[in-house]
Amino acid sequence: MVRKRPKLIKERVPTPERPVEERVKSFVEVNLGYDFASAVKEAERCLQCPVEYAPCIKGCPVHINIPGFIGKLVEHRDDPNKAVKEALRVIWGDNTLPAVTGRVCPQEEQCEMNCVMGKVGDPINIGKLERFVADYARKHSIEDELLAEMRPSVCGKGKVAVVGAGPAGLTCAGELAKLGYDVTIYEALHKPGGVLIYGIPEFRLPKEILDKEIAKLRELGVEIKLDHVVGKTVTLEELLEEYDAVFIGTGAGTPKLLNIPGILLDRIYSANEFLTRVNLMKAYKFPEYDEPIAVGKKTIVIGAGNTAMDAARSALRLGSEVTIAYRRGREDMTARIEEIQHAEEEGVKFEFFLNPVEFIGDENGRVKAVKFEKMKPLEERDKKGKRKIVGTGEYVTLEADTVIIAIGLEPNRIISEEATGLKVNPDGTLVVDENLMTSIPGVFAGGDAIRGEATVILAMGDGKRAAKAICDYIEKKRKANA
Amino acid sequence: MPYKILDKKELAMNEVWYKIHAPHVAKKVQPGQFVIVRAFPNGERIPLTPVTWDRDEGWITLITFVRGKTTMRMANELKPGDELLNVAGPLGNPAPMKKFGKILAIGMITGIVEVFPIAKAWQEAGNEVTTLHVSPNPMVILKEEFENAVSRHIVEGFDLQPGWGMNEIAQELVKRAVAKVKELLENEHFDMILTVGPAGGQKAVFNVVKEFGIPMHADLHPIMVDATGMCGACRVTVGGEVKFACIDGPGFDAYKVDWDELIHRSGFYAPMERLALETYLKQLQAQGGEQ
Ligand SMILES: Cc1cc2nc3c(=O)[nH]c(=O)nc-3n(C[C@H](O)[C@H](O)[C@H](O)COP(=O)(O)OP(=O)(O)OC[C@H]3O[C@@H](n4cnc5c(N)ncnc54)[C@H](O)[C@@H]3O)c2cc1C
Ligand SMILES: Cc1cc2nc3c(=O)[nH]c(=O)nc-3n(C[C@H](O)[C@H](O)[C@H](O)COP(=O)(O)OP(=O)(O)OC[C@H]3O[C@@H](n4cnc5c(N)ncnc54)[C@H](O)[C@@H]3O)c2cc1C
Ligand code: SF4
Ligand code: FES
Repeated sequence: MVRKRPKLIKERVPTPERPVEERVKSFVEVNLGYDFASAVKEAERCLQCPVEYAPCIKGCPVHINIPGFIGKLVEHRDDPNKAVKEALRVIWGDNTLPAVTGRVCPQEEQCEMNCVMGKVGDPINIGKLERFVADYARKHSIEDELLAEMRPSVCGKGKVAVVGAGPAGLTCAGELAKLGYDVTIYEALHKPGGVLIYGIPEFRLPKEILDKEIAKLRELGVEIKLDHVVGKTVTLEELLEEYDAVFIGTGAGTPKLLNIPGILLDRIYSANEFLTRVNLMKAYKFPEYDEPIAVGKKTIVIGAGNTAMDAARSALRLGSEVTIAYRRGREDMTARIEEIQHAEEEGVKFEFFLNPVEFIGDENGRVKAVKFEKMKPLEERDKKGKRKIVGTGEYVTLEADTVIIAIGLEPNRIISEEATGLKVNPDGTLVVDENLMTSIPGVFAGGDAIRGEATVILAMGDGKRAAKAICDYIEKKRKANA
Repeated sequence: MPYKILDKKELAMNEVWYKIHAPHVAKKVQPGQFVIVRAFPNGERIPLTPVTWDRDEGWITLITFVRGKTTMRMANELKPGDELLNVAGPLGNPAPMKKFGKILAIGMITGIVEVFPIAKAWQEAGNEVTTLHVSPNPMVILKEEFENAVSRHIVEGFDLQPGWGMNEIAQELVKRAVAKVKELLENEHFDMILTVGPAGGQKAVFNVVKEFGIPMHADLHPIMVDATGMCGACRVTVGGEVKFACIDGPGFDAYKVDWDELIHRSGFYAPMERLALETYLKQLQAQGGEQ
């Protein structure tokens, strides 16, 4: 079919957002997403670049056929259910958690950065279209029909254990189940999802949506064992006895803390503790929920990544005034642009070039201020391409009765300490080869466990690649034994 | 994953015993390790210690001191046949298992619960173990079990006076513990000391032990959330370094622990403590009324 050369529409169809005054009082989702009509309008802007060329696909770490799914929305515009079903079928070919990735991916650095429309106007709003397809499908029970079609006819090709139910583990499990393997996930916490459940707040990713995305895996036959800490409840060695292969997707969940005076004062939280209390334990609903959280009138959040934004916006919703203090400059912030904008709109204040040197406490041992050294940027850049900074020798003290530290996370050591044969890099990440296999044959790994703090979609990409490699590994082993 | 409550009973005042189906924990748990329990859909995760277990039958027993909302709700609302929502574990590191020689293992109030599996295993490993339970008399538990498991079991009990709150109980506890430990150490030689109990009590005992220069292992109880090393709520300073008690502990060399800091951090939830105290006093009164 020869398509009519489309007319260039430079501007994006906007998505509605909850007004600031309303949203800062609650944890409900900020962005409301497209409806069918506006989604089709946005989809029509896509130039439908050929699949083998489309730069957006190259920008996506799991290479979703983007023009393919967008095209379905336009093609079946007269039958919304059919349009969404066909679009979802295309997306699921490469990504089983589109409601999640459509919300949390930094599209501006991935698919949307590459989109050719971005050269003449706004790039296509790929993330919001992906999210629309997933949300509409869920609301109209379109997923169940597709799942029934997808369920593998042949099971029993082998048994695989997946450790960790974050995006890496969930994706690996889903792919293997589709290929006909019996998969069991071992998860330490009482809910699956990893950072998606304990780290990213409801106002960005409603937990009900996440639960439904994960429920699909159970439909595909994946078993999830909660409350199982691998390394303690069961060892890697024991898993290898029972399963043909193991995938480790344990993430990078251990918080780095500042090694400066006053770190053990009351009301100094790691962002992980703060966000776990808020998200996983729903402390924002205390006392309806049992988990308490103590937030004062003035909160300082240290750091400027996604974790810092999430912590800041959560503290704001608990009624505190919030300042983000970052040791580098505005343009060095690593959080997603959309989240930085949301934080600013909601009234989070930003202070740049401040490096904490001491926490000052009151007579009751509660933090009352943070002392910072003022920093300045140099022309020189570090390995990651960021400007280097040096201290100026000048100091400033900011008042705060709550401090949240969000300066980074490291891989959890539980498994690597117990399984001595597992090679680990100095930064705690697991050593893997080009097939994502660790130093122990049959044990694969991916996501933050091998990368350190990275992104949801990279973790999912690893999960998918590992599933393929696991499949090859098991087949090869079977042939060798035959 | 349902964890059925096979049995439940009140052992003593504010001390409730649960027998729970949790094969994954029963199969693996070692003395010194603990579990995280979540009992209610809107509930918090609390750390508790398996006291006994049967690896083949797949059960563990827990004993809780009814001290705040969660333990009280568990005591009031759960019946045999009900299920706990989550039992995760075993967590933490096992206590060091070797031949020390003569050991004094001290449990203050419900801390004695955690002493039990460790003391029993130490005795079985060829040590001569003396256990000491310092506690209000109405809260004395596991007396017979200890007598069967170790060389000698001493109960240093005291009566509760009308109008006493947690503070007075804590003061009396520390006084009794210090006096008794001093007496024991002056009269006999010990090669190793273990303590479990409130941070203030542990510190006071440590100060006595220190004078005699005996090695001491202390099980610490900071606040925990995930207990898998993910949040740092449980951080303590040991040997000048920040450690997470849930993965690096809960047992530490008492000589390296920053006790004042631990005591200070245990006091963070002061308003809750007050609430717990009020409820506790009401229960004491009710108890008094029955007698
Ligand atoms: C607050 C916050 C906000 C973020 N925002 C974004 C964002 O907007 N966009 C984005 O792309 N990325 C974001 N990230 C990063 C992203 O979430 C991670 O890169 C991603 O979740 C990594 O996935 P994973 O599967 O490797 O690990 P995780 O999501 O960390 O999951 C690991 C899982 O393994 C479990 N586990 C660990 N050890 C064991 C064990 N021994 N036994 C059993 N289970 C175990 C853990 O409980 C956890 O459930 C954010 C991160 C944080 C902390
Ligand atoms: C490794 C470990 C093993 C433990 N084993 C046992 C056990 O076998 N039996 C038992 O009865 N208790 C044990 N505890 C203590 C137990 O976790 C607390 O009693 C429980 O969390 C109190 O919950 P609550 O909701 O009833 O009280 P809350 O309302 O949460 O608190 C009441 C009081 O308890 C204090 N508290 C809260 N959480 C803890 C905590 N994690 N540790 C110590 N004090 C706390 C508060 O400061 C407050 O004073 C253990 C603690 C740890 C860290
Ligand atoms: S690059 Fe942009 S215009 Fe081209 S197919 Fe992808 S989304 Fe459409
Ligand atoms: S309880 Fe969270 S790290 Fe120990």
